[in-house]
Amino acid sequence: MRVVVAEDLYLLRDGLVRLLEAHGLEIADAVGDAPSLVRALLAERPDVAVVDVRLPPTFTDDGLRAAIEARRAVPGLPVLVLSQYVEQLYARELLADKAGGVGYLLKDRVFNDDQFVDAVRSVAAGGTVMDPEVVTKLLGRQARQETLGRLSGRERDVLELMAEGRSNSAIAQRLFVSEKAVSKHSTSIFAKLDLPPSDDDNRRVLAVLAYLNG
Amino acid sequence: MGRGFQVLLAATLVAGLLAAWARIRADRDANDVPTHLRHLGWTLALALLTVSFLATLSVTFAPYGARAWMVVVAVAVVLTFRPWLAPRLVPAGLILLGVAGLVLARVYAYKIAGSESVIPGGAPVAANRGTGQYLLLAQAYMFVFLGGWLAWHSGDLVLAKGRRLLGQVSLLAARAQFRALLILPVALMAAELCIPGGFHSAVPVGAWFLMFLAAATIVLRCWPSTAARLAVTGVLFLGLSGVVLAITFQVGTAPSQYGPFVLADRGSPALIVGEALVLLGLGAWLVPQTFQSARWLLGLPPDLELTRQVQQLTESRAVVVDTAASDLRRLERDLHDGAQARLVAVGMSLRAAERLIPVNPDAALALVAEARETSARALTELRELVRGVHPPVLADRGLADAVRALALDSPLAVHTQIDLPGRVPAPVETACYFAMAELLTNAAKHSGARDARIEVRHSDGRLRIEVTDFGLGRADPAAGSGLAGVEKRLAAFDGIMAISSPAGGPTIVVLEVPCALSSPKTSTY
Repeated sequence: MRVVVAEDLYLLRDGLVRLLEAHGLEIADAVGDAPSLVRALLAERPDVAVVDVRLPPTFTDDGLRAAIEARRAVPGLPVLVLSQYVEQLYARELLADKAGGVGYLLKDRVFNDDQFVDAVRSVAAGGTVMDPEVVTKLLGRQARQETLGRLSGRERDVLELMAEGRSNSAIAQRLFVSEKAVSKHSTSIFAKLDLPPSDDDNRRVLAVLAYLNG
Repeated sequence: MGRGFQVLLAATLVAGLLAAWARIRADRDANDVPTHLRHLGWTLALALLTVSFLATLSVTFAPYGARAWMVVVAVAVVLTFRPWLAPRLVPAGLILLGVAGLVLARVYAYKIAGSESVIPGGAPVAANRGTGQYLLLAQAYMFVFLGGWLAWHSGDLVLAKGRRLLGQVSLLAARAQFRALLILPVALMAAELCIPGGFHSAVPVGAWFLMFLAAATIVLRCWPSTAARLAVTGVLFLGLSGVVLAITFQVGTAPSQYGPFVLADRGSPALIVGEALVLLGLGAWLVPQTFQSARWLLGLPPDLELTRQVQQLTESRAVVVDTAASDLRRLERDLHDGAQARLVAVGMSLRAAERLIPVNPDAALALVAEARETSARALTELRELVRGVHPPVLADRGLADAVRALALDSPLAVHTQIDLPGRVPAPVETACYFAMAELLTNAAKHSGARDARIEVRHSDGRLRIEVTDFGLGRADPAAGSGLAGVEKRLAAFDGIMAISSPAGGPTIVVLEVPCALSSPKTSTY
């Protein structure tokens, strides 16, 4: 699996490259600013890009904008965006094209390298990965409290993990229940939220996020 | 005028007074003294307005009664739903009414002189001869001065809270405009003097009135300070000319020979002298305030408003310096007790792990895991700290997107309507962002609202922010430090805050900060 890494701080870039290589991923290119990121993405066509939000030249949200622009040129180009902070606004913008293959995580998530690499692989496979912090805020919004109140505690846990982009088996592992129980819960959640049921993990995540964002 | 109509008017008046009284009581309960006073002023004005309408209607122009009543209702509606407009509307209305009275008194006078005709649509002139004209003149002057007085004092109260009066943030400019309002009667009286033959027919009156109104409005808009000077000069000139006319009249011959000024119709020269003296006095009082050099010549102390502005600036600067210092202290403390302490813990855990590796690898592993968790917590704390210092989205995208992000993060359903064609200056942006964050937090905590709305727009060199929550209302700036803090911080940018929060809601907070927008940065890769 070929990865392009974009991070302006040398130490962090080097660390990311080593971490990904240690897990058997191939680094196609490692760049330090937004214009070279766009060039690398279009030239290398990697399986996935790991991009820091804040990059030169303006040190604002250049990484995010470069990623969105590259995805406009190459629809569905998998991008995992890393940031020191997560914003629902940016999450929305990343999810806006509804193409999947998007991730948005806090940089600290790198500390748990297994989970992080899982996220990278999941995004590369067209999945959607959202940071738990984004999901917590989405679930906390007043507008959705009425319908969300109809969910049982367990169903809420499942919904939360689903919104983070985890597969049924991952959720089952996390909650120490069987995969069958998870799929039962998810059917019930979809019924309670009036969402069309779907067996496809990716489409299910997008549906849940679209619902929470709405 | 029908009796039923009079009863209707009286009922309106009583209802208006009762509503105002209820508001005053509510404000007194909230211990909001300035609002309390302001409402008292409005009630007074409203009462006077209505009483005068009643009086005028019964005497002269009954057919206009319906329209006058509509105006009263409109004013009452505006006062109820847009109370912050009252300090601007009421004085302006009074002054306009007074000016209209001046015109009418004169038209009326000429009508009497000219023939036994009637005022268009009005009562027979003969019946009103005598007191009617004096009443109208006296009432007109009372309105102009009462309006001026109210504008002045509501201006003080409102502008002390930093609000605009007649479209200007600056106190000086507001006063200049108020003074300039005097140009209206002056212009009208000047017109009277200029027209050969006087106002003998009703049509030219309207035309001249409109023309001078237009001219005065243009001068007011474009050159407020020049308008103020012109007005003051005009007042003095009129006063002088009145004195001269009175004297001429005394020695004059047949009254009707004095062309436009048909002096006989004024009743007696005493009225002219009285009017002239009032105008002279007013002019003499306004001259030192309008012409700075006159103050100096008269040996008066420098402009009181400038002195006050300097004091206000000193105060707001002190607040800013103080806030900046305490913010830095808080930052230092948070770093010291939070992230710094955690990093020390990480270092110690790692050192201990180092020693344990050869002896007890399992314990060492546990320590390393602990160090990792501690560093994650340190990161979280730093992130929170950074948000409090300067929110990242604000740095990345500017105010518009930062407000959208704020709305998304709020537990309330917040609708945003943002119209910013450029970037707001960084310090203003930050102050406004934190102000809105504070207001939203307040709304979420105390109002019991589920929905809120934020409107941001920029026009006429001012950034205007309106935060509305559809909760229980009765937000009290005196109750917590939050709202007061917002106001103080905005004051550093000559910004202002106004709150309307009746019991039962909604709570509307309006912030206004004068600032210019820079062109937006747009770039693609």
